[in-house]
Amino acid sequence: MTDSIRVFLVDDHEIVRRGIADLLNAEPDMDVVGEAPDAAQAIGRIAATVPDVAVLDVRLPDGSGIDLCRDIRSQHPGVRCLILTAYDDDEAINAAVLAGASGYVLKDVRGSGLIEAIRKVASGRSLIDPSLSRRVVEKIEAESAEDPRLGSLSLRESQILALIADGLTNRQIGLELGLAEKTIKNYVSGLLSKLGLQRRTQAAILRLGRRPAGDE
Amino acid sequence: MTDETISFPDAPRSQLDTALADLVERAHGVMETQGRLRALLRANQAVVELMELPQVLHRIVEVAVELVDARFGALGVISPSGELEQFIHVGLTDSDVEAIGHLPVGHGLLGALIDDPRAIRLSHISDDPRSSGFPAHHPPMDTFLGVPIRVRDKVFGNLYLSNRSTGEFTADDEQLVKSLAGTAGFAIENARLYAETRRRQAWAAASAEITAAMLSADGDDPLAILLERLLMLAEADLVALTAQAFPGDEIEVTAAHGAAADPLIGRRFPATETVAGRVFDGGQPLLVNEGSAFHVEVPAHDSGPVMALPLTAGGLVQAVLVITRARGRQSFDAADLDMAADFADQASVALELIKSRTAQQLVLVQEDRARIARDLHDHVIQQLFGTGLQLQSIAGATDGATGKKIIESVSNIDGAIAQIRTAIFALAMPRTGESVTVRHRLIDLVTEMTLSLGRAPTIEFSGPVDLVVTGSLADDVLAVAREALTNTARHARAEMSSMRLTADGTAIQLTVDDDGHGIGEPTRRSGLSNLEARAHARGGSCTVDSGPTGTRVTWRVPAPELSARS
Repeated sequence: MTDSIRVFLVDDHEIVRRGIADLLNAEPDMDVVGEAPDAAQAIGRIAATVPDVAVLDVRLPDGSGIDLCRDIRSQHPGVRCLILTAYDDDEAINAAVLAGASGYVLKDVRGSGLIEAIRKVASGRSLIDPSLSRRVVEKIEAESAEDPRLGSLSLRESQILALIADGLTNRQIGLELGLAEKTIKNYVSGLLSKLGLQRRTQAAILRLGRRPAGDE
Repeated sequence: MTDETISFPDAPRSQLDTALADLVERAHGVMETQGRLRALLRANQAVVELMELPQVLHRIVEVAVELVDARFGALGVISPSGELEQFIHVGLTDSDVEAIGHLPVGHGLLGALIDDPRAIRLSHISDDPRSSGFPAHHPPMDTFLGVPIRVRDKVFGNLYLSNRSTGEFTADDEQLVKSLAGTAGFAIENARLYAETRRRQAWAAASAEITAAMLSADGDDPLAILLERLLMLAEADLVALTAQAFPGDEIEVTAAHGAAADPLIGRRFPATETVAGRVFDGGQPLLVNEGSAFHVEVPAHDSGPVMALPLTAGGLVQAVLVITRARGRQSFDAADLDMAADFADQASVALELIKSRTAQQLVLVQEDRARIARDLHDHVIQQLFGTGLQLQSIAGATDGATGKKIIESVSNIDGAIAQIRTAIFALAMPRTGESVTVRHRLIDLVTEMTLSLGRAPTIEFSGPVDLVVTGSLADDVLAVAREALTNTARHARAEMSSMRLTADGTAIQLTVDDDGHGIGEPTRRSGLSNLEARAHARGGSCTVDSGPTGTRVTWRVPAPELSARS
């Protein structure tokens, strides 16, 4: 009973929460201790339940799952996070790295290995290959540099991005750089809003708007 | 008194006779003068009542001939280069004209009048040193009267008359013809203004029409319409649209219409030697008639007068229209340039509108696709995923065959989710742009190969493929995928084919499957050895498992070192 893994679910689709809860509750070593459909409710309930693992959708109706994940990690470093996404691996790994999550799981019923992933993460292991995190950071830096609208990352932003990739929480980054946690949070929000433009649907429109006249 | 009255001395009598005779003669003279003045009035009236320039010119010659009772008459129009560009004649028969072979260009006596525009009156043409003689088969001409016609102080042309029916041309004749020439000048000016007004009207109408056509064009190429109309309105022989990639670069003919247009399209010319190049430079319309010092040959054919007009947008010359007439044809004048330039301005605006409209439509399509992608993501996948999870839970609590069946269904749901995920990706990303990822390239390849395969291969990605498979590795993966699918299309007679690309921090693997009857003979394996070579070069392997029920190509290489990424 004491060894049971306590899991919290954040997803705005009830049918998804229901399905995962059913699946996890069927496992002898797992308990779903709470659920929330959005970030606002998730913060309070997670503070109240302090689960071992939080499973979060990147896309939430009231904000980004990435912000939520970083908040959870900063306030409750003992809570491991798993990003759950219906996007593809590339999108998912970007999100997981930026969020400081221990891993990501695609919304595949059988292929995802959700239960295995939760067990691994609960035991303190990271599912993300460190070489891949480095690639993510490198790619983000390269894309920021070549996109004039995003502007190159500032030195501070690059520093913070590198520490994010190392898995540090906002609080830890603040200590590392001698800045307040709130300042770090602002930097991260700034970074995310810059990188938020990279989200596929928006990026499509952004790219289109940027095409020079007479390109056809 | 009676005697007295009949006994006038001889002298006064004869004086009276003389006076009477004189009077009668004067009366005749007055009558004749009045007659000639009336003829002049009629002639003036006849000349001014017409509006079309060619008719006006012809009428001038006709009435001049009648006015002085000449056998032959002609009007020569002087070109800007000082030669005769038109020669309207009266009195020569068709067979005369044919026998002479060509019309005069303005040498000899005709040229003398061009060089020094003052009336020339001769009793015998051949006696004059300026005469250069007549060509063979020319009807004999003797008496001559030549008078310049001025339009607004500029010599327009000359009126030539010869072979007065009786005697030689008199000073009165000269006065009358000079007077007629004055009226003719006004009539010509009038006809020109009239013609210009009509041309302006035609340009304006065409301009409005083309703008409307371009803005509502659904299929017609607006540029094609533009060029076609320009050709017609400018009475040109060739119209070409030229573009320049950057200032000083060669100019390229991007579209052309008219004589020998097709071979011109796509040809490039040095900017410094062409009229178009100068317009790209200066941004102002340019008119170059014959005799210009620099090359005008955007058109490759023997061109004469040229107009070049900039199409501008945002203060920059986007393209230059080059309008040419064949050598020897009438010059373009300032009014032509003016009207064509106005036309080009309007066309610029319309073309800009079309461009932004197209871009806008593209944005709308893109937004629509993005919305569909979002819906698929936000609703369809979530529903499938949730349902699949529940089914799986049920399967866990169900024994035997039923549980197995449920698990199979769940696998199908997963397959559907993977397909939708690929569809979302394909929908939400633009197909152009600098960062074309391996995902895109494979999706495009599959689309391209669908025709030869008969059925679209399924395609699946696993792991952060775009993150790992970049640069030359992506090129290799594309080449391998193409080779494998081509083999399937050529040899396997497969019903289904599928492709899967997986990538993680350590390795990447491309698998291509089909359910055909195998690739068979070794000769067909040449392409596959290329796959092996590509794999070995990266320290990986390539295996081909081929049998009567299908073929699997597995291409696997280690993930490239981070620092080695391109």
